[in-house]
Parts: sequence; structure tokens; C-alpha cells
Amino acid sequence: MKKDKRYAIVLDTRRCIDCKACTVACKTENNVPLPEDTCRNWVTEEPLRGSYPNLGQSFAPSQCNQCENPPCNSVCPTSATGITEGGIVTVNPDKCIGCKYCMLACPYDARYYNEETGAIDKCTFCIQRLAVGRIPACVETCPTKVRTFGDLNDPCSEVSILLAKNRHRVLKPELGTKPFLFYLI
Amino acid sequence: MSTIAKKPGQLLWFALLSLCLIAAAGAAGYSFMVGHEQAFNVNRGVPWGILIATYVFLAISCSGLCLISSLGHVFGFHEFTLISKRAILLAILCLMGAFGAIGLDLEHPFNMIYTLLSPNFSSGIWWMGTIYGIYLGILVVEFYALMTDNHKLSIVTGSLGFLFAIAAPSVLGSVFGLTLARPFWHGSFMPVYIIITALVSGTALIIMVMYFHHFVRNLEMDKQDRRLIRLLGRILALMIFVLIFSVFWNVIVGLYGKQPGHYEPVMALISGKLSLNFWMGEIIIGLVVPLLLLMRHDRTPFSTMMASLLALIGMFFMRYDMTIAGQLYPLRLQEYGLEDGLFSYSPSLSEVLIVIGCLAFSAFAYTLAEKLLKLDTDREQHS
Amino acid sequence: MSLINKKLSRRRFLGMSSCTLATAVVGSQVKVLHALAKNGDVTTPQRGKDDDVFTSCGMCVNKCGVIARVRNGVIEKLDPNPNFIKSRAMLCARGNAGVGVVYDPDRLKYPLIRTGKRGEGKFRRAGWKEALDLVAKKMNEVAEKYTRAGVMFASTEGTYQDHFFMQLAECFGSPNNVRHPTLCLSSNIQGFMATFGTNPTPDVLNADYIIMSGANRSEALITPDSIDMLKGDGGRRKLIYLDPRFTKTAAKADQWYPIKAGTDLAFVLAMINVIVNEGLYNRTFVKENCVGFDKLVPHVRSYTPEWAERECEIPAADIRRIAREFALAAPKAIYYHGRRSSFMANDTQLRRGIAILNAIIGNWDVKGGMVPNSRIKIGRHDYLAPWYDDVPDRLDAGSVAYLSENDGAWVPFRDRVLAGKPYPVKGMMVYKQNVLASVPDRARSLKMMDQMDFICTIDITMSDTAWYSDVVLPEATYLERQDPLESIGGILPVVVWRQPCIKAMFESKPNIWIMKEIAKRLGNEVAEQFQFTIEEVIQTQVKGQPQILKALQTQGVYYEKTDPTYGRTLGKRLRTKSGKVEIYSEKYAKKGLDPLPVYEAPKTTPAGKYRLLVGRHAFFTHGTTSNNPYLNAIMPENTLWLNTEEARRRGLQNGMRVTVRSEVGAQTLKLEVTDKIRPDCVYMAHGFGVLSKGLRTVYGKGGCDAALIGSSYDKISGNAALHETFVQIERA
Ligand SMILES: Nc1nc2c(c(=O)[nH]1)N[C@H]1C(S)=C(S)[C@@H](COP(=O)(O)OP(=O)(O)OC[C@H]3O[C@@H](n4cnc5c(=O)[nH]c(N)nc54)[C@H](O)[C@@H]3O)O[C@H]1N2
Ligand SMILES: Nc1nc2c(c(=O)[nH]1)N[C@H]1C(S)=C(S)[C@@H](COP(=O)(O)OP(=O)(O)OC[C@H]3O[C@@H](n4cnc5c(=O)[nH]c(N)nc54)[C@H](O)[C@@H]3O)O[C@H]1N2
Ligand code: SF4
Ligand code: SF4
Ligand code: SF4
Ligand code: SF4
Ligand code: SF4
Ligand SMILES: [Mo]
Repeated sequence: MKKDKRYAIVLDTRRCIDCKACTVACKTENNVPLPEDTCRNWVTEEPLRGSYPNLGQSFAPSQCNQCENPPCNSVCPTSATGITEGGIVTVNPDKCIGCKYCMLACPYDARYYNEETGAIDKCTFCIQRLAVGRIPACVETCPTKVRTFGDLNDPCSEVSILLAKNRHRVLKPELGTKPFLFYLI
Repeated sequence: MSTIAKKPGQLLWFALLSLCLIAAAGAAGYSFMVGHEQAFNVNRGVPWGILIATYVFLAISCSGLCLISSLGHVFGFHEFTLISKRAILLAILCLMGAFGAIGLDLEHPFNMIYTLLSPNFSSGIWWMGTIYGIYLGILVVEFYALMTDNHKLSIVTGSLGFLFAIAAPSVLGSVFGLTLARPFWHGSFMPVYIIITALVSGTALIIMVMYFHHFVRNLEMDKQDRRLIRLLGRILALMIFVLIFSVFWNVIVGLYGKQPGHYEPVMALISGKLSLNFWMGEIIIGLVVPLLLLMRHDRTPFSTMMASLLALIGMFFMRYDMTIAGQLYPLRLQEYGLEDGLFSYSPSLSEVLIVIGCLAFSAFAYTLAEKLLKLDTDREQHS
Repeated sequence: MSLINKKLSRRRFLGMSSCTLATAVVGSQVKVLHALAKNGDVTTPQRGKDDDVFTSCGMCVNKCGVIARVRNGVIEKLDPNPNFIKSRAMLCARGNAGVGVVYDPDRLKYPLIRTGKRGEGKFRRAGWKEALDLVAKKMNEVAEKYTRAGVMFASTEGTYQDHFFMQLAECFGSPNNVRHPTLCLSSNIQGFMATFGTNPTPDVLNADYIIMSGANRSEALITPDSIDMLKGDGGRRKLIYLDPRFTKTAAKADQWYPIKAGTDLAFVLAMINVIVNEGLYNRTFVKENCVGFDKLVPHVRSYTPEWAERECEIPAADIRRIAREFALAAPKAIYYHGRRSSFMANDTQLRRGIAILNAIIGNWDVKGGMVPNSRIKIGRHDYLAPWYDDVPDRLDAGSVAYLSENDGAWVPFRDRVLAGKPYPVKGMMVYKQNVLASVPDRARSLKMMDQMDFICTIDITMSDTAWYSDVVLPEATYLERQDPLESIGGILPVVVWRQPCIKAMFESKPNIWIMKEIAKRLGNEVAEQFQFTIEEVIQTQVKGQPQILKALQTQGVYYEKTDPTYGRTLGKRLRTKSGKVEIYSEKYAKKGLDPLPVYEAPKTTPAGKYRLLVGRHAFFTHGTTSNNPYLNAIMPENTLWLNTEEARRRGLQNGMRVTVRSEVGAQTLKLEVTDKIRPDCVYMAHGFGVLSKGLRTVYGKGGCDAALIGSSYDKISGNAALHETFVQIERA
């Protein structure tokens, strides 16, 4: 029998061209307010390496890690934050008091206050799309297909295979959050 | 009954506080109308601003007041019973001010109901809220016991209050101390440090209360009062001394470890964007000058009061700096393109007005109570 | 930028949208957009239920496949169409921001007639009838006074409805169409056509070695190249990138060379020199398929890598190595020829050089090489333009060596309008072109517009050009119209179309309707040619191929193969005079042009000045989308890039405002001090410093490159030369 799903995203940042399609796709899919600092995902321009004319630069897209051991969840006083199917960490806007403790507790800056819903908001792996059999918006739209989405409990899924075949890392592993956003190296 | 005469100074005092309250009410109304995001300068980088700092300041002062005053009736330092009612009353009002500050900081205070409907026992804030909530209840009963001279009840509530006065600030400290994501706050230092600062705040407030009690009424301090104020002054000096130590070591640890997220905020304090606050507000105004004043042999009640006032101001800076410094270091380094690599925060007008309002509320309610309630203790009963 | 600043801009946005939309809920941009949707004359939502509509993106040239998710008559989300093989199932930031086009509070809603002075921005709302009557009347007036050629027609491709606009021009009787190619790629087309008789597509997916000269594929997206450039197979791929700027493509390249601007031909000729001298060229291919190789050998003799190093500042050893690696990787090696080739005034010769370099390694029509386009044949919607005998030749006739009759040559065309010679042009019809942002030297374009008796612009937003027009007509956006089919050529050709996802909001109308209404008013002869409906046009296009329509309806795109066919042209006559690859161009020789590309050094940068570079940004399309709420939020203003060392030398700091001055204009914008650019160049993104206050989000932000660029152009193709301008900068 197959175990429950455990969703994950694997990123191959070597392919990222910093086009921000993922950011805009997420904003339109999830009604995320427009300003740059309200976003569920982002693409970081890493600092330039070297100096003119020997330069290098990488771009690093990221979002909520859907941690196995999410500090944002343990700090939430009203249980507005919860973990649902597939390990997705969600916020119930009706229960959120807006204390913003979770914003301070998340080591990845994955949360923001959404003025429009009046609650804390974060990436949900586009749970509403998963429900109808579509993949997350940022995964689907990416021109160079930096992100791969799938179920890690299924050994035949694309993500499982990618992780089995490639060296990879997670962000801030020392904090014990057990992220489910994997970066290929 | 109160013996305060109707004086223009008193009217002015109430008028001033009322003005503050009205301004704060306006600011609070505005912030709910346009949304906190618009009215406040907090943002994704620095989600906790001066309101949280004020909350911590007032909540901690509350605990400090209880700790000091309970020295009186719990441990039988009889000198302290002189001020016990006032201390408890002020503690209650500080805590209410604190709740006001955090209530206005919350985006949806009414959703607090879910702390009961779906409590999360692993949440530091849940524990802090619950403990301070119960604590408030205990304090009210204790105050009632004191006012009605119900000794048994006051001993029980007093002892409970003492426990909570230790528990509450240490849980509050843990709210900061348990945030793994923020190395500047993270660690076991925070709860201990918070309790030390609570003692400083509490002592300083009690000294202030005693001094103004006499000053406003134009009363001479008798020998007992003078002895008490001297004793409190000594306690304050000791606490400040301990605090200086812990601040010193906290800075050293931050600098020595060079741990990202700890080092930068410490640098911001000692030489960066918070350095004026730190050196002027915390160190000089809050620690050094009060200590010097308190160490003088010829210190008077006035200079002791001055030392307390300065220490309190210093405490506020400390709360503010602690709250803000912990958030300055971005979790996503490059994303925000910050010039100096750190976030900035300065409170908006609405935030400042609300803070003033919360402080004014405590002061207003306290002076009003002084007028309306019998807070003087019948010394004979105790000595 | 601090977060505080960002918050200010958010406030401004909210303030604006809530003022304009009494109906909108304050505090919600998304809600504002949707409120606008719901109040935009969508009396009853045309599509009541949830619906997925297959259509194609209209935000740029690539026409990617889109599935519009529509709910209750509101477009909620645009998703990529996974069947759209050309774009490998993606939508870029702009494609995703398409909803912002429809629901932008700044979109055009009603026909407008100017009431104030030109450029003052005073318009009144008019009914369609009144506006169209006025347009027809003015067109006729100009025709009567100055001949029918006195009305010019400016347009750009992309809407699939530009054909109707060109048809109107022809039926009205004006030869004066001016279109985007001479701002964009005409020198490229010219250079390759002259060599191969066609403009091929580089097979980026399968190439092992790619050299790009200022083709910024990570930011200037061209599908599928932008995607394939990164995919490669098995890591064998090598990408060499030459650009005076460290672009995001440079960040992805194996090697980046900050080539001195305008010297690419030196690099190319030196590569040819090495390949010829070392016998690394494909002898068989050259012998069997090319003419003029013998003349090439002596021609490149002096173009040694050492010589080139002095010109282009790329070390001779590297040029040698790259030439060898390139030849070794042949035929799976391409010197990518880019798209926008409006670089320098001798651009055609650079593209000729690139074509020749590709030819001699024999990468023609093979896997991983330069592959001539295939195209799916669809039916043509035909018409018979009335004959007028008093119509003169094109205004710009003879201004350049090879002029496209359909497209004209923008810069010389404008010169002649201003000179009033050989005849006056006093009427201007504009469709889907933003002349004031796209044609270099904005002040001159404004002068040209000033002398017009009449200007009508058909757009979807209040572009600068619309702002200076007399009549502004609102076209329905690409998500609101039925567009005809478009056959897109390439290695894997496709056919796409557009279906309306929602009913056109406000009073906006598709261009076909506008054209028919104008035609009606221009008299019977013209009107007769416009007796068709969009359905009829589509029926003509798919005649005999019902499977096309079926595919478009069920999967949004039609294609016949998913694997490329190579070598279709091998052994056959090419469409050149000799039927072969023309290394030496007899045709050019006859016209007195250099038959083999001769290097001309760019003008030396005057002391204290910098060469101004322009180029794409991944978040915007030209000067067009910077007002889009979603995209503007990513990049609210442009900056002037200046090299770090140079800034230090000049005592200029990052973030300070500077005034950039050229011979034709001055602009003020923020300075960005960066290592990402050569010390002798500056760069600014296109699309800012707008004149139109109707673009409220972007108005007042940044500077306009078109206001600085001078009017220089390539005399062979007529392509504008956008990098020939020198500027000085000073503190503002
Ligand atoms: N300074 C400078 N100038 C340049 C360039 C540069 O990089 N820098 N690039 C050059 C190049 S390569 C090109 S191709 C040209 C392109 O420039 P243009 O030929 O001007 O074409 P676009 O910018 O694509 O579109 C212009 C107008 O079309 C409108 N529009 C968009 N969609 C529709 C629609 O569906 N219907 C109607 N009626 N209008 C619509 C837009 O609002 C805009 O006003 O610019 C060239 N000019
Ligand atoms: N996101 C986005 N994508 C687009 C478009 C868009 O507007 N936005 N427009 C589409 C259109 S119409 C076109 S034509 C294409 C254009 O796509 P490209 O042909 O890639 O044109 P540009 O982006 O203008 O890039 C020109 C680059 O050349 C560099 N450059 C300048 N001078 C020189 C030189 O002398 N030598 C070399 N080697 N480099 C030089 C500039 O720094 C700049 O990076 O993009 C298409 N794709
Ligand atoms: S869409 Fe893909 S390539 Fe573009 S920025 Fe996001 S992750 Fe990078
Ligand atoms: S990344 Fe942050 S928000 Fe997401 S689950 Fe982990 S702690 Fe929570
Ligand atoms: S802000 Fe909301 S989600 Fe976050 S911890 Fe507080 S109540 Fe929970
Ligand atoms: S998975 Fe969905 S919610 Fe999460 S960042 Fe991507 S688009 Fe946004
Ligand atoms: S590249 Fe982007 S803007 Fe251009 S057609 Fe494709 S999705 Fe649309
Ligand atoms: Mo172009």
C-alpha cells in the first residue's frame, strides 16, 4: 500500500535566468498583493562574483520549504497555522490574529502579511491546483523548468528520481526544520 | 480618602494625559481603518515594532513591580508593605497598558478566541498570553484582598503572584529566546536577562511611586520612608550592576562568535544604526548615570528618583533595541538589496501616538486611582 | 531600496486606483482589477461558467500558447499551454501579467477626441460613430489636399490583425506603410537573405557550440531559443557570449567577453581568418554549395586575431581558440545571429559576416546548425485594392539600398516627412506601434507629428503616441478578441490563433471591426474590399484543412511534426541569384556595396562621453508594458548603468540622480553603479521616461532611451542604428 503523499519541489537553480515568471504566476494564481515585498516566492540575484571583467552570477528562486518540522507551526498561538495533506503547511486566515510571530520564527522569510485577506500568507504549493490535478503555478510556468514538483513518497516520481540521481542540499539544515525544498548541486 | 487638593498642576496633568489618550485613540482608529500595513512602519523585514517593545516594557514592569512588592508580604520585609497596594495597582495598570499595546499591534485581536478554541500548547505566545491573562486575574484578586485587608487571601494570591511574576517574564523571554531563526534572540540568555530587567523596572517604578506620593502631596518623608527608599535604591543599584554585566557579556558573545544574525545586530547596537539608542539610551541614561547617582553617599530621595526615572527610560530603550535589533538581519540576504545589509525601522507617527497612549493610560488610571482609592497602608497593622 | 520606499509606492498605487474607480474596494489591487472587470460593461458575463480558453499570448513577438482560466466572466489566471511546442510550455513574467493588461485601470476604454493642444492630454469621450466619421473625413481631406500618399500608416506585427490595417492602407491608396522591421531586424534579414536567400533559424537545442553577439536570450526572450540555450544535451554545450554588458545571458554563458561595442565584425572576420588559414572550413560544403570563397581568402588575410584584438579588445589567443573550437564542433556549431540587429550603421555587413562564418563551417540545414524555416501553409485572405493613378511612389523610395515595400525604413522616412520632400505627408494612422518610444530621437518624432494635420492611433493603452494623437481608438485586447490564424515559421512550425476569453470590455472593439467601419466611410470602392467577417477570414485560412481548426479548438495549437526535418534545401537551389550560398555578393557589388564585409571601426568615443546602449529587460516588452501593474511592481523605474571604476573616477555614487545628455536630448534618472558594464558604455532599460500621463503607474519614473538616441541608420537595409549615440552624464 502506498503511504501518504509527501510533496516536495526540487530546484535546479543553474537553469534560472531570473525572469520572475514564477513570481508573477504566483501572484496571479494566488491573489498575492502586487508590491515586491509581499510575495510567496522570490528570486534572489546572488552577489556578483569577481570584478569586471571576470564576473559570475547566480540566481536563486525560493519559497516556503514546507518544513517537516516547521517552527512557524509550533509558534502559532491559535493553531491558525497547520499542516495538511502531503506535508503542506497552511494558514487558516479566519484564525490568524496577525501576531506575526510566525514571520519571526520562519527561518526562510517565507511568510508575509496579506493586507487583502488580513492574515499571514505563504506558499501552499498551490493546494487549490493540486486538488484539480494541476501542478503549482510557479512550477508550470517557468520557462527553463527550474522547479520540479512531486510526491517524495512515490519512488517513481520525478522528484524522487531527481534526488536519487543528483547531489542536493536544503537551506539552513542546521536548524532542524527538515525542509522539502531541495536544491540540486 | 485621598488628600490631594484640587491644584492646577493636577488638572494640567489629567488634561495632558487625556490629550495623549485621545491622540492615541485617533491613531488606533486610523490604523484599523487604513490597515496596519499603511499606518505602521512595520513590514515584512521588521514585523515587530515599537508596539511590541512597549508591550514588553510594560509587561516586564508589571512583573518587576510584583516581584519587588512581594518581597514585602511574602518574605516578610515589612518595610515594603508600605507600598504593596500601590505596587499591585500599578502592576495591574501596566499589564493592561501592555495588553493595549499588543492588542493594537495585532491585526485581528478578536480572533484571540481561537487561543481557547484551538490552543497550541507548543506556542510561546500562547503560554505568554495565557499566563499573563491568569496573572492579571490573580493581581486583581490580590489587589482586592489588600484593599479589603483580607490577609489570608492576600498571602495566597501574593504567593501565586510571585510565582507568576517569575514565570511570566521568563515565558516572555522565551518567546524571543526560542526563535531559532533569529540568532540575536535565540538562546537561554533571554529569559534570565528579561527577569533581571524586570527587577530593574519594578524597583525603579516603586521608587518613583514613593517619591511622587510624597512630592505631590507635599509630604515630608519620615525615617521609615527614607530607609525604604535607600533600601530600594540599593536594590536598584545592585540590579543595574548585574544588568551591566549581562549586557556586557551579551555584546562580547555576539562579537566573539561572529555568528551571522547575531554579530550584525550587535554591531548595529554598538556602532551601527542603533548605536545612539544603545550608548545614549541604554548605557548612559539607563545604566551608568543611574548607577553613579545611586552609588553616591549623599544621595537623596530626589536623586534616587532621578536615577529610577533614567533607568526606566533606559529600560524602554533596551526593550526597543532588543526587539528591533533581533530583526535587522535579513533572513534572505540579497533579496532586499539593502545598502548596509540590514533592515531599517523607525516608528510611524501612529505607532508613536499609540505607545504614548498606552503609557498615558497606565499613568492616567494610576493617578485617578490615587485620587479615588485609599491606598495608604495603615502602618500599625503590620509593624 | 528600502522597504519603506516600496511601501510608499504601494500607497500611491492604491490611492490612484481607488480614486479612479469609485466602485473598487480600497486596499485590494487584485480586487480593483476584478472590480474593473465586473464593471466594464460586462452586463452579463459572456462565459458564465468556469471555462478554459485556448489562445495565444499577445505580450510580445513569441505568441506563446495560453490557456485562460475564466470564471464568471473574469480571467482569473493565464496558464501556459503544454501543447505549445514552440515555447516548451511556458509563460514568461509578461505572459503571466496579461491579466493586468485587461484589467489595468489605465487601459483605453472609449474612443477619445482631443480637445486641448497636442500632448496636453485633454480628450473628450466620443461615440464610435463620431470618432470614425472624423477619422474618415480627415483621411479624405488629407488625400484631397496632398494625394493619398499623404497619409502614412505605422504599425507593428503581433496582433494578427495588422493585416487588416495594411489592407486599409492599400485600399485607401497609400504606399506609405512604415513598420517595425527597420527598428529591429531588417539588417539581419538583409545580411542573411543576401547570403542564403532566406533567414534561417539557429537550431539552438541541438548545437554543441554557440556564439552570441549581443543576443540577450535570458532577457530578450525568443522561444524556443531562450529555453533551449539552457537545456543543452549532456553538458557538452558551450556558450560564448559577447556583449559590452554582463547580462543574465552572460551569467549563463561559459565565457563572457565585454566586447567593445560596434566591433563584432572584427571578431567575426578574425574567426574567418583563422578558420580559412588553418583550413578548418568545410571544404566539401564550400565547394559544392558556396560561391566566392576564393575571394574571401585574400579578403580576410589582414583580419588577423592580433588585429582584431586591437579593435574588439578580446585577446587574440581567445579568438584563435574560439575559432578552432567552433570549427571543430561543426556542423553542430552556430554563430547565433540574434534578432534585434539595429546596432550600428554598418549592421548589414556584420550580419553578412556572421552568415559567411556559419556557411564556411557547413552548418547549413543540418542538426545543430542554421536551419531554413519551415512554415505550415494556410489559406490567404485576399482582396483587390482599388487602382488610383495619382498615387506616387513610397516616400522613402531610394533612401536605402534595399527597401522593403511593405515595411519602409523608419528613420529616413521620418527625415523625408520633415523635409516635406518629395511630397508632404500630413496624415498619420497608427496601429499597435508606439512611435514615440520605439523610433529613435523622440524629439524628431514629435516634430514629425507636430506637422501632421491629423493623427489617429489605435491602441489598447494611452501610449505616448496615443497621447499626442487627435483621435484615439480603443482596440479590444488580445484576450478579448477573435484573431485570425497565424502561421509561425521555424524549425518546428506551428499555427496559432486567438479566441476571446471574455467579452470585450467597455467600448473596445477588435481592429477588424474598426477597419471595416473606417472603410465604410471611405467610399464604396474601399468598403467593398472589407465585406468579410472574422469567421470568413478564418474559414479561408483553414480551407481544405479542417484538422487545423479542430486542433486549435481542442489543443490551442496546430503542428504537423514534433521532430525537425533537416536537409530539405540541400542539393536544391537556394533563393539567391546564383542559387548557392553567396559568400561574395555579386548583387552588392553591382549596387556599389561591399561584396564582402569590410570592417569599419566604430566612431571613437569622445573624451568624457559614453556610448549609450539599449536592450531588453525580461520584465518588459519594449516601451509597452512598464505600466502593467504586475510588471511595474518588479521594476518600478529604470536606471543608468555606469561602470564602478568609472563612477569612482567621476565621483558619482550609486542611486544619485544624473542627467544624461546626447546631441538630441537629455533625460534624468537614477544612477546604478555596477561592474556589469564596460567603462566606456552606459545602458538604460527601455520603456520609461514616458510622456503620457495616461500611464499613471510609470509616469514620472526613469528616463527614456528614445529621447537620447540619434537618427543614424544602416544605408543598406534602412535599419535604425541604436548604438551610435554618445552621451555625457552629470549630477542632476
Ligand atoms: N530605444 C529603443 N527603441 C527600440 C528598441 C529598443 O530596444 N530601444 N527596440 C526596437 C525593436 S527590436 C522593436 S521590434 C520595436 C518595437 O516597438 P513597436 O513597433 O512600437 O511595437 P510594440 O512596442 O510591441 O507595440 C507598440 C504599441 O502597441 C500597443 N499594443 C499592444 N497590444 C496591442 C493590441 O492588441 N492592439 C493594439 N491596437 N495595440 C496594441 C502597445 O500599447 C504599444 O503602444 O522597437 C524598436 N525600438
Ligand atoms: N523580455 C522581452 N523579450 C523580448 C522583447 C522584449 O521587449 N522583452 N522583444 C522581442 C524583440 S521584438 C526582439 S527584436 C528581441 C531582441 O532581442 P536581442 O536581439 O537579444 O536584443 P536586445 O535585448 O536589444 O539586446 C541587445 C544586447 O546587445 C548588447 N549590445 C549592444 N551593443 C553591442 C555590440 O556592439 N556588440 C555586442 N556583441 N553586443 C552589443 C546590449 O548590451 C544588449 O544586451 O527580443 C524579443 N524578446
Ligand atoms: S520562472 Fe524559472 S527561470 Fe524564471 S525566475 Fe523563476 S525559477 Fe528562474
Ligand atoms: S519555510 Fe517557514 S513558513 Fe514554510 S514551513 Fe518552514 S518555517 Fe513554515
Ligand atoms: S500571525 Fe497568524 S499564523 Fe502567524 S503565528 Fe500569529 S496567529 Fe499564527
Ligand atoms: S507553489 Fe504555488 S503558492 Fe507556492 S510559490 Fe509556487 S505558485 Fe506560489
Ligand atoms: S515570451 Fe512571454 S510575452 Fe512573449 S509571447 Fe511568450 S509568454 Fe507572451
Ligand atoms: Mo524587435
